[in-house]
Amino acid sequence: MNDPRLVIDFCGLRFDTPLVLLSGCVGFGAEYTRVKGFSNRDAGALCLKGTTLEPRLGNPPHRICETASGMLNAIGLQNPGVDHVVEQILPTLDFTETRFIANVSGTTVEEYYEVTRRFDDSPIDAIEINISCPNVKAGGVAFGNDRKLSAQVVAACRAATTKPLITKLSPNQTDIAANARACLEAGSDAFAVINTLMGMAIDSEARTPVIGNNQGGLSGPAIKPIALLKVHQVYQVCREHGVPIIGQGGVAGAEDALEFLITGASAVGIGTALFYDPLLLPAVNQGICAYLDRHGLINVGQLTGSLRLHPSPIDSAEDTCPERARPGTAVPKH
Amino acid sequence: MTPSRRERGSNEEMGHNQPLYANHLKIYHYQHGNHFLAAMSSVVESICTGIFLEDAEILKQEACAGDQFLLCLKAPECARYARPGSFVHLQCDPRLPMRRPLSLMRASPRDNRIELLYKAVGKGTRLLALRQPGERISLLGPIGRPFQPHPEHPRPLLIGGGVGIPPMIFLADALRSDRRFRPFAVLGSEVPFPFQPRPSQYLVPGLPPQVIAAMPLLDDWGIPNRLTSLSDFPGCFRGYVTDLARKWLEGLDKSARAEVEVFACGPHAMLEAVATLARELGLPCQVSLEEFMACAVGGCAGCVVQVRTKQGPAMQRVCVDGPIFDACAIFG
Repeated sequence: MNDPRLVIDFCGLRFDTPLVLLSGCVGFGAEYTRVKGFSNRDAGALCLKGTTLEPRLGNPPHRICETASGMLNAIGLQNPGVDHVVEQILPTLDFTETRFIANVSGTTVEEYYEVTRRFDDSPIDAIEINISCPNVKAGGVAFGNDRKLSAQVVAACRAATTKPLITKLSPNQTDIAANARACLEAGSDAFAVINTLMGMAIDSEARTPVIGNNQGGLSGPAIKPIALLKVHQVYQVCREHGVPIIGQGGVAGAEDALEFLITGASAVGIGTALFYDPLLLPAVNQGICAYLDRHGLINVGQLTGSLRLHPSPIDSAEDTCPERARPGTAVPKH
Repeated sequence: MTPSRRERGSNEEMGHNQPLYANHLKIYHYQHGNHFLAAMSSVVESICTGIFLEDAEILKQEACAGDQFLLCLKAPECARYARPGSFVHLQCDPRLPMRRPLSLMRASPRDNRIELLYKAVGKGTRLLALRQPGERISLLGPIGRPFQPHPEHPRPLLIGGGVGIPPMIFLADALRSDRRFRPFAVLGSEVPFPFQPRPSQYLVPGLPPQVIAAMPLLDDWGIPNRLTSLSDFPGCFRGYVTDLARKWLEGLDKSARAEVEVFACGPHAMLEAVATLARELGLPCQVSLEEFMACAVGGCAGCVVQVRTKQGPAMQRVCVDGPIFDACAIFG
């Protein structure tokens, strides 16, 4: 039983804690429960593995490698296809444990629509859109790196479901806030910020990339400062609309989770850290509660966006470099 | 599952020869955990007991020849449920962001102990080698499908190469207590063996008479064995493990040879040669594989290997679908 002060409302869904197990890290919900002491109930929600219309084999090995304070991965969306997930896997899940969120991926806008439609007709609690997939009709450029394409994907998914839609934003773009605004207008109910940063690791002896896919997504503590800045920027867009954010990227303990909440997140994603410590969820929950005690707060939601920015000397001068001084103010207002 | 090559995540251990895969193959067979359990009833016991996170005390850390280390840990749950072929996922050092998978050499439930033999080759294992008795290491295990000897094949042939030797010792330990099996082991190494070889007390038909060096532990257990190397170690067979294995197999009459089942762990090229030999002679063969690993519990699909299934090619996770695979499914 989690502390009632940790309960949040996320798009009308009750999360027992603000912690969310991230897509791609916890399989289809059953894998980590083999570890003695692990419980999905320690998380407010669990995002299932990325799912496409057809089954996919995924990328060749090596799919992962360790890097400084993190890791690269290029799994390649290995999954059994939406029909198998809906018909064979969802019936095995215990929906009293936590909120289960589907993660929808595709290589065309039509595929996103169709996968979302199948999940709409299922007991799944919410749908996360992975807009970082390559668009096969546009030379493989990721949908999520272009705000118009991002909005198209979100609009297609919106047309396919009434369930809460969470758009997982990519950090591999110039202006994440503008992208968030476009996705918001296209019907996104919430955001997950951020997906992995694209990176590469080289085997100097072989003179080849380490990862079979040549490049992969960087995760782990190495990306936390970037993730915090992106949450901060997206929060400037979301705040006035009351749109919640799942802050994620390098969270490995309660202190990290608190930083994301304060910056503007309503919930906090945990992924890579689980590989190092599979039983860290209870400690993070307890750490957040201890902070609430120390600061006399009655609910974790009070922390969201409670960040107090330093006054910037450039504020009073010409606004020549707003992003350097106050990252959030770089968001175009209209 | 060779500990040295199992030492993931640092560039020096990365494999160089990658098979070519189509990135978007649509034929697919995903081994979801629950279905897998139902299919593998004989494995249910070891997997259903679960995977334990233990704060293991280092009881012994002993340097052997060739940068090899013998590590003894106090890990009661792991010791209780480990099976030959199981591995553990270790936090080698707090400075590293990822764990390292290492195969088990022995497990003693009575003493709450597990033993690992690893080679310090990468960042992780080199830091692990610095850890001292009395310190604690976070351990996740036991993990993986174990070797499955079949009584209808009462002559197990155990082939271990380099740091692929430890899982063979674990398997030998399990087989020696089962009178139905008459195992023979071939162990190869190009660095000095992590034990002092001695002349075997067993005569083995089919082998050159000068090939007498054996591992004392296995010999004492009543398991005939021989050592191979290209490094001119005294009493060892000069050649590959598969060369000596072939001589042993050819020394058996036809009906005895049909009773052989091959179990192998070692470098990929060695496993491929073993699989080829087994296929040529029509013998069943189980191999222990390795791949870089992140979660080690089946959650991330980071450690997959391509296997052949009746439904077509599939990507299976080395951590929980393996690390033991049917050689035919891997090498065809």
